[in-house]
Amino acid sequence: MNHRNIPSKAALGARIPTRRKLACLLLLIACSAMLAQNPSASPAAAGGSSVRATHILGLQGVSKSAGGNLSIDGDALKFQKTEGAAAQVPISSIQDVSLGVEDRQVGGVPLAVGRAATPYAGGRVIGLFSHKKYDTLTLEYLDADGGLHGAIFEISKGQAEGFKDALVAKGAHVKVEGQTAAASTPEVKK
Amino acid sequence: MKTNKLLFAAFMLTAFLAYSHAMSAQAASPKSGKPSGAPQWSVQVDKVDQGDVILESAFRVAIYENLLDEMAKTKRFKQVFRSGDHHAADVPDLLILKTTVQKYTAGSETRRTVTTVSGATKLKVSSQLTTKDGKVVLEKVVDGNVRFFGGNLRATHNLAHNIGTQIKESTLPPPNAATAEGSIERRMEASADSVSTSEMDVR
Repeated sequence: MNHRNIPSKAALGARIPTRRKLACLLLLIACSAMLAQNPSASPAAAGGSSVRATHILGLQGVSKSAGGNLSIDGDALKFQKTEGAAAQVPISSIQDVSLGVEDRQVGGVPLAVGRAATPYAGGRVIGLFSHKKYDTLTLEYLDADGGLHGAIFEISKGQAEGFKDALVAKGAHVKVEGQTAAASTPEVKK
Repeated sequence: MKTNKLLFAAFMLTAFLAYSHAMSAQAASPKSGKPSGAPQWSVQVDKVDQGDVILESAFRVAIYENLLDEMAKTKRFKQVFRSGDHHAADVPDLLILKTTVQKYTAGSETRRTVTTVSGATKLKVSSQLTTKDGKVVLEKVVDGNVRFFGGNLRATHNLAHNIGTQIKESTLPPPNAATAEGSIERRMEASADSVSTSEMDVR
């Protein structure tokens, strides 16, 4: 027989608050760790021609923090928002493509509130686990009037390199480190 | 009792009249440093010069893009041009906003969350407004930091906002005066050149 000793109500009542708090803390840590896990790269992303991305800033006609799909469509770089119209940049107008790595807290406002509300500075412990690294893809491109634009995208870690290679293969310019702007302009010979 | 009520009513009426007069006067007067009806400058935001500082491209681009937004928000300029825009060449009253990074301290959002006191992202830039012929109209050193909440790139937003505020609060010379000063300077330089050449001729 599966028989367990059930503790008395008084003893249970005394132990519940601490247990609950610990359980809540563990649950929050587990949730944040799950959120922070990087999704595995999709087969399409391995090819580097299409990746899931979040637009941080800079692309005209696209709101900040908009999620969508970044892809190469013919001779243009296309950002298709999850809901709404797509924005395109001709690859030939791209002056520089660079990559970076950033680290940020996941969960947004709900988890931030959860962290703040966690007793015994448990929010700090949650903060240790609830962060995620991601790649940033930075583009510098010229519009039809010659004006310089910059756009930054957030891409899952490990996927930006392949996408950059695909862009370069399609004709996007990349500045070599130490190369000055003057080097790209035609020299005036006497 | 009746006198008290009358006095109170008179006091309230006076206070209301004084307040409404002050408000109307405030609305009528132009904002500090913003001449009403006077010709306005246009501005071209130049590429961010990172100098000797090692700065990620994302930060450089974010400062540039945020500056464009903030310049438009100041409402001090007739038009805001991007770096390299061909249309800017035809604009007579054009100022160029040059930004040079002086100091950058990389931060970490996780460190900020866990420790509160460390992990701040700090940016310090020198910001210059110059005329087409290189005359400096305004020069400021501005900071942009993220100490507690937000991602690292938020420092660029704060920095651009601070630059915008500095420009908003400062008084720019009217376009004609600055251009005239520039032309006077050029004329003086030209006359100095002619003097030196004439001296050389004499010799």
